[in-house]
Amino acid sequence: MLKSNSNFPLSFTLMENQVKEIIARVLNVDPGVITDTLSSGDIPEWDSVGNLAIISTIEQELEVEFPLEDLFDLTSVKSLVDEVNMLKHA
Amino acid sequence: MLDASHSLVLCRIAGHATRTPHKLALVAGERRITYSQLAMGIEAGACYLQSMGITKDDRIVLSASKELEFVYLYFGAHLLGIVNVVVDPSSPVDRMDYIMGLVEPAAVFGTLTTSVECRTIALDEVKLPAVEGESSLHLPEVAANDVADIMFTTGTTGAPKGVCLSHANIAGSACNINAFIGNTDDDVEALGLPLSHSFGLGRLRCMLMAGGIIVLVGNFANLKAFFSVIEKEHVTGFGMVPAVWQYIKRLSGTRIGKFSNQLRYIEVGSAALPLEDKQLLMQLFPDTRLCVHYGLTEASRAIFTELHESAANLDSIGRPVSSQVEVCVMDDEGVPVADGVDGELCVRGNMVTSSYFLPQDNAEAYYGDWFRTGDWGHRDCNGLFYLTGRKKELINIGGEKVSPATIEDAIRALGVADCACVAVPDPNGVLGEVPKAYLQQAGCSLTIEQIKTALCGVLPPHEIPVEWEWIDRIPRSSSGKIQRLKLKK
Repeated sequence: MLKSNSNFPLSFTLMENQVKEIIARVLNVDPGVITDTLSSGDIPEWDSVGNLAIISTIEQELEVEFPLEDLFDLTSVKSLVDEVNMLKHA
Repeated sequence: MLDASHSLVLCRIAGHATRTPHKLALVAGERRITYSQLAMGIEAGACYLQSMGITKDDRIVLSASKELEFVYLYFGAHLLGIVNVVVDPSSPVDRMDYIMGLVEPAAVFGTLTTSVECRTIALDEVKLPAVEGESSLHLPEVAANDVADIMFTTGTTGAPKGVCLSHANIAGSACNINAFIGNTDDDVEALGLPLSHSFGLGRLRCMLMAGGIIVLVGNFANLKAFFSVIEKEHVTGFGMVPAVWQYIKRLSGTRIGKFSNQLRYIEVGSAALPLEDKQLLMQLFPDTRLCVHYGLTEASRAIFTELHESAANLDSIGRPVSSQVEVCVMDDEGVPVADGVDGELCVRGNMVTSSYFLPQDNAEAYYGDWFRTGDWGHRDCNGLFYLTGRKKELINIGGEKVSPATIEDAIRALGVADCACVAVPDPNGVLGEVPKAYLQQAGCSLTIEQIKTALCGVLPPHEIPVEWEWIDRIPRSSSGKIQRLKLKK
């Protein structure tokens, strides 16, 4: 069962896991590869086509819409998680 | 460096190492390599291969990587007449098994997924010897027409085809391109294209032949990092496929225009660039040479156009890249047709492959010494060429050619009685073409959603059809071949 860590509520941890699961599934890589510090371009699978697929799958499955002006800065797992968190709580 | 008269690319690198030994040649992450170090690295790569007992005409598989060791081994193999088979590290296992079985490599360098057993060395385990003073290399006699590289492309039937490129072919291509674009030793190029693709590998050779600097960048996914490289390294040019341009537009708008004063050239190719994108590029980069090529692995960059110079004919793909290259439009019998009449574009010249790896693949590949591209078009009375269609049924997904048969086989394996895939325009306007699947309704209990889910993990994400349609029967010829053109109408 998922547990909340000391810094974030359970909903954040759940959402973080969902984002990581989507990234791993879309890129077809082992979920263990998807760490907070991983950035687009760090692994061959996370190329431009993979990045677009990640963005559209997150938007579709987590029901958020990334503002166009933010896309340029969504370059890492952490930035995607933070952005989804921000949009969900806006 | 040692004598490498069979390879003009190596000769030029050796020349730069002699004349400008301290000039920067390559940047890979934190590693910055001068031409002198590059020449020594290539010699060390050759020594390493020789120490493994690999000799002339042996084949090695190089899993493409933006590491210096890849560059050293790639050119080191050329020095010894060893044949490189450069592959995409993310190639699916069945494709890799097929290639491995076919070329029977003496060794594999880098990571890849295959069930074929072979001596494999990860690139970070490659320990190159120090090269100083008198060389211990034993150089065999290598001819310019000997095979340097085998690049695998997608065959229409699904089985990859090995394209044999000689030392003369790859040097000829680099000379053609450098002359057209105007690359010099003042250029600094950011290479985001994959080295497993002939476009990316070609850019590496072009830049090192010209004596410029090449900055190896992972890929284009992280545009922020790519833009930062352009700024920090004072980049003067780069190559991209149209799908990357769509990506740049979508993620960064017109932000890249701020580099217009610094970028001397941009090379675009591997798929058609829409007219509105040509116009936008011209607007954003008024003083940059915008060089768009038409070509294929077998006949690298046969035709070029520079957008500003061809402003009145932006629908044309241009003219033959150099006086060393001829393009002729031919009918079904291999007879040249008149200007304005559609036919198959056929190419001959210094960069055109003289053979596929398997002799049977050559059977319908040529009219005499003219290579048949499988693309249709015509020439106008001014000598400009225009593309109007494609005879081959490959689907060009963001510059990557995918065989419909590969996708169809995966769908049939799920229990669909029959299906056919064709190219349709990407509804999102990014990838150029995407696959559409026609499924035979009869005898199928699966839903499209179930089929899509089952294909995840079987096919790469971009090969999963975007559009789906149930039909009564897949059209087939009397010999049983799928008539995909009927589905495209």
